[in-house]
Amino acid sequence: MTAEEFVNQAVEVWARPEPPAAREPTGFFTDTTLCIGCKACEVACKQWNQLPGDGFTWTGNSYDNTVALSATTWRHVAFVEQMDGSNHAPRWLMMSDVCKHCVQAPCEEACPTGSLIYNEFGNVYVQQDICNGCAYCVAACPFGVIDRNHEDGKAHKCTLCYDRQKDGMTPACAKACPTQSIQFGTVSELRERARRRVEELHARGETDAYLYGAERAGEYSELNSFFLLKDKPGVYNLPEAPRRPLARLKTNYAASFAAAVGLAIVSALCFGKRGR
Amino acid sequence: MTPIAANEGYYGLPMLKRPLWGWEIALYFLSEGISSGCFVLGTMAELFGDGRHKTLTRHAHYLSLATLAPCPPLLIADLGRPDRFHHMLRVVKLKSPMSVGVWAMGGFSGPVAMLALKQFARLEWMPGRMLAIAGLPFALTMLAYPGVLLSTTSNPLWARTRFLGPLLATSSMASATSALAIAAALDPESDERTREALHRIEGVAKAAESVAMAAYVATTGKVARPLTKGRYATMFRIGAFAVGVALPAFLSFSRKKPGRAATVISSALSIAGAAALKWAIVHAGRDAAEDASLNLAATRADTAHPGWLPGVETRTGVLAGSGPSAP
Repeated sequence: MTAEEFVNQAVEVWARPEPPAAREPTGFFTDTTLCIGCKACEVACKQWNQLPGDGFTWTGNSYDNTVALSATTWRHVAFVEQMDGSNHAPRWLMMSDVCKHCVQAPCEEACPTGSLIYNEFGNVYVQQDICNGCAYCVAACPFGVIDRNHEDGKAHKCTLCYDRQKDGMTPACAKACPTQSIQFGTVSELRERARRRVEELHARGETDAYLYGAERAGEYSELNSFFLLKDKPGVYNLPEAPRRPLARLKTNYAASFAAAVGLAIVSALCFGKRGR
Repeated sequence: MTPIAANEGYYGLPMLKRPLWGWEIALYFLSEGISSGCFVLGTMAELFGDGRHKTLTRHAHYLSLATLAPCPPLLIADLGRPDRFHHMLRVVKLKSPMSVGVWAMGGFSGPVAMLALKQFARLEWMPGRMLAIAGLPFALTMLAYPGVLLSTTSNPLWARTRFLGPLLATSSMASATSALAIAAALDPESDERTREALHRIEGVAKAAESVAMAAYVATTGKVARPLTKGRYATMFRIGAFAVGVALPAFLSFSRKKPGRAATVISSALSIAGAAALKWAIVHAGRDAAEDASLNLAATRADTAHPGWLPGVETRTGVLAGSGPSAP
């Protein structure tokens, strides 16, 4: 590297190019009632994004040998076998988990470098040339999605196939899904489709179907990547009601500064004439 | 096939990723706490002491710089990409406590370095008071932000309380007072009034720390399990509380005028306690993230946090069964 290249590279960190014009937000609607657990999404994601393998282990947890989302696994199919010990056919729940692309994402809010951004499609995206691996996002995510790769030291997660979207293509997982359990589109259209699907399932007697993340829930924002579930969120290892880390920022600062300033005043009094 | 009896949870696998912060961050919190606390105390003594605490201000300037020096290397060593540490300076982001901390340390280091230099090289022309006042807001931010940084996460041990900020801030002030008390006890030139003032401040800071500690454990409730019952329980109970608060109180604060030796011993214990507290809190966060049932319990829906599961109360009975739901 020449001196000039080195300087250019260092200065580029502060460059502020004009961001692309905002487009209509896109996302995933993952309908777990259609999932057959084929893991084509996992494979397509790994292949397109050139993610390394995670080793090969039998977990004994049904057909789930992937275990969890990680820095190198951006789709994860969960398998839940529910049996009551009788001869009834078991109920199988399968769910392809992915980054939730929160509209107000705790990882983006935590990021001190500005590496995590919302791109023009409203997707939460890690700029790999900026991330310095501080790992604040890892602790901030209430879904345990984003993680730091120990090989390159940077944070990684689902990009919602930003590169494919830029070329007008469907993300790899949704493209590969053979049952349309994973649907890609604009969020407004997906929400409409998802509501119709819930109504349809309810009409068929499957009254336990509901949408996870299609709307705001208290302090927590909508998820641009939302799910149709059949059981409690905890069954799929999802939080029932995630908390927004930033919700208590001001009161936390107030309490903390009160303690620091209070003790500073005490010390001023002790050092001053009052302290005899 | 074994029937899966558990109604909730996913094979006991964690819901969260474990925080990656370790010993570097625990030591950083200790060091930056002593540094910023010393700066605040030195400034207060200079502004309100009527020239009675000159040795304390001198000690404070040197201690502030000495404990600030290891902070940047500790933080950089903790990064996944240490070569990109300067990316922290790309943006000023008030909603990210880590960004606030980085900039506070940047603003703090100038006055600290200049005051130490002024003192060392006897540069009388430098405006000491102005530098002290300029550094004060940054020093107070350095005291206040570490607990807020940890609380602004999804980790139940750190986020389910408002008292982690006050706990770390009071602990930092207490350990800074202890550091200055040791310096005053060892310095034959130090004034009797300075040692008495420090003794009083240390007493108040320790009392505030124990109140914050009790409030922290009480408000986190069951979620404090990784700290009070886990593998860091001994460090927290014996280290942070017994060694850091109770023993120094017995050794020193039970007497009106402790001797120099007693001051050194009790203040050293108090700093060791602060180290144990910060070590235990940072490390127990990993256990909290990996405790699946703890996170299930900590993210339950309530009136303020409805979540997305419709009719939580009414559906519990129906969905709690592990049997097939098909009619």
